[in-house]
Amino acid sequence: MPDPVLQTHDLSKSYGPDRGIMNVSLRVEAAEIFGFLGPNGAGKTTAIRVLLDLIRPTTGHAEVFGLETVANSVEIRQRTGYLPGEMSLYENMTGLELLQYFASLRESVDWSLVDQMAQRLSCDLSRRIGALSQGNKRKVGLIQAFMHRPELLILDEPTAGLDPLIQHEFLSLISEASQSGQTVFLSSHNLTEVERICDRVGMIRGGRLIAVEHIDDLKKRAVRKLEIQFAGPVPTEPFQNLTGIHDLMIEGDRLTCTLSGSADAIVKQASSYEVVDLVSQQPSLEEIFMALYSDAEVPNRA
Amino acid sequence: MPSILLRSLRDQQTSLLWWFLGIASLMLITVLLYPSIGAAPEMEALFEDMPPAFQVFVGEIGDITSPEGYLNSQLFALMIPLLFMFYCIGQGSGAIAGEEAAGTMDLLLANPITRARVVLEKFGAMLAGGTVLGFATVFGLVVGALIVDMDITMSRLSEATLVSLLIGYLFGGLALLLGCWTGRRSLSIGVSVGVGVATYLLNGFAVIISWLEPYRFLSPFHYATSNDPLSNGLDLTDTLVLVVATAVLLVGAVRTFDRRDVQK
Repeated sequence: MPDPVLQTHDLSKSYGPDRGIMNVSLRVEAAEIFGFLGPNGAGKTTAIRVLLDLIRPTTGHAEVFGLETVANSVEIRQRTGYLPGEMSLYENMTGLELLQYFASLRESVDWSLVDQMAQRLSCDLSRRIGALSQGNKRKVGLIQAFMHRPELLILDEPTAGLDPLIQHEFLSLISEASQSGQTVFLSSHNLTEVERICDRVGMIRGGRLIAVEHIDDLKKRAVRKLEIQFAGPVPTEPFQNLTGIHDLMIEGDRLTCTLSGSADAIVKQASSYEVVDLVSQQPSLEEIFMALYSDAEVPNRA
Repeated sequence: MPSILLRSLRDQQTSLLWWFLGIASLMLITVLLYPSIGAAPEMEALFEDMPPAFQVFVGEIGDITSPEGYLNSQLFALMIPLLFMFYCIGQGSGAIAGEEAAGTMDLLLANPITRARVVLEKFGAMLAGGTVLGFATVFGLVVGALIVDMDITMSRLSEATLVSLLIGYLFGGLALLLGCWTGRRSLSIGVSVGVGVATYLLNGFAVIISWLEPYRFLSPFHYATSNDPLSNGLDLTDTLVLVVATAVLLVGAVRTFDRRDVQK
């Protein structure tokens, strides 16, 4: 198996009891888009900042491009582009000045790419950053991460707080980067965006990596809320032992349950009665995590 | 290319211009007042009537009618070092701690640069900015001295200014070290100012309080004033002590920042 671009070995960073990350071991392969998914405070940003040597691990270690992160940080950062989560830029500079400042600290920057991205994102680089909206500042941040065509892109919640059109553009740019051979490690608490572009997803909660899945497997396992409105009251027994059905509740003419996997069994069963309405709801992150926790096997393929 | 240093100076452009004008004007005016204040014998009598403790606060105990006496008491004893310290402590405390507080350190350090480089270039910017203030000081003094025909050489004025600047740099180095260590700007300023005041008083009072005398060597101001650079020129040993002390603080700053986590 070819060397991973990024690998952590039992990586832990503690900020005191119940904070930080614990024993995180994962690997990210070349040219893949790896999504790091978890609720706020789960430890995503902590893990990312360890990779960039902004903070040092308590125990364990990490390697990027096969190089140990603490000792080789400068070289790693040469080949990496980073977009921080809660990002602050230099308010008194224009977008262009900031890019030029950082370009002077790097070996080479593709200015035609900068222009392309600025156009696609409708980002005016000649305006003072302090005068830009949060979304527009984020655009400058993204261009900054991409401009030197790094082998690895580390993006911490790249689309948080952006309007949908720009989100779409961000995600397209990220997909294109991966298609051209760049590796992307992004963190998010938004399942939809992760589903759209990621190849694999690592789920983190309470500082621990719960599972790593290929996106297709995640979709299959994903739990949805199902609500079926019948014309009249229905009995409970026919619905009780169907595959993939949990938390079944029937109140008169209304059935609610959670469904994982194929909906075929319950739909076939429900069609024996007169169905008025059928609503399926996208699961929240919490619900996916709960489903994962309650499963007998918790895979940890890294 | 020292981009961080240049960027830091560029950010201070306007501020340094105002500093230059302000300091040069203050120097000029003070020297222009020499014929009316310094050379007046009544002033000397008044000064000698003050209790010794009070004289420490007002300036060097000595003759304020001579050019050296006047300039030392009005400017070099307190005012000039104070201005340089004000600038340098501001710069030193803001260099690292300020950037962390502003949230831009993460992005800056995402670039392939060492932490040492960030500390050193920002210190360099403080050196450069301080030099601008030094020039402003000498400029104002020299122009003033020419106008009132004060008997003092540009060489002596430069040497005294340099020594005051070294004091500024030392406390700037201290503020930088504290900023690198704690990441807290106000704390760095507070402690640096506190140490500045304490050592200033130590040096001042050691002249009149005998049991403080052995501890005088702990005060940076001792090395700036005891050999009266305005009258006697630079003392090599004293100057070296200040430079080495500043260098030690700088090395400490680099190593401390290198070791700790960067705050978000």
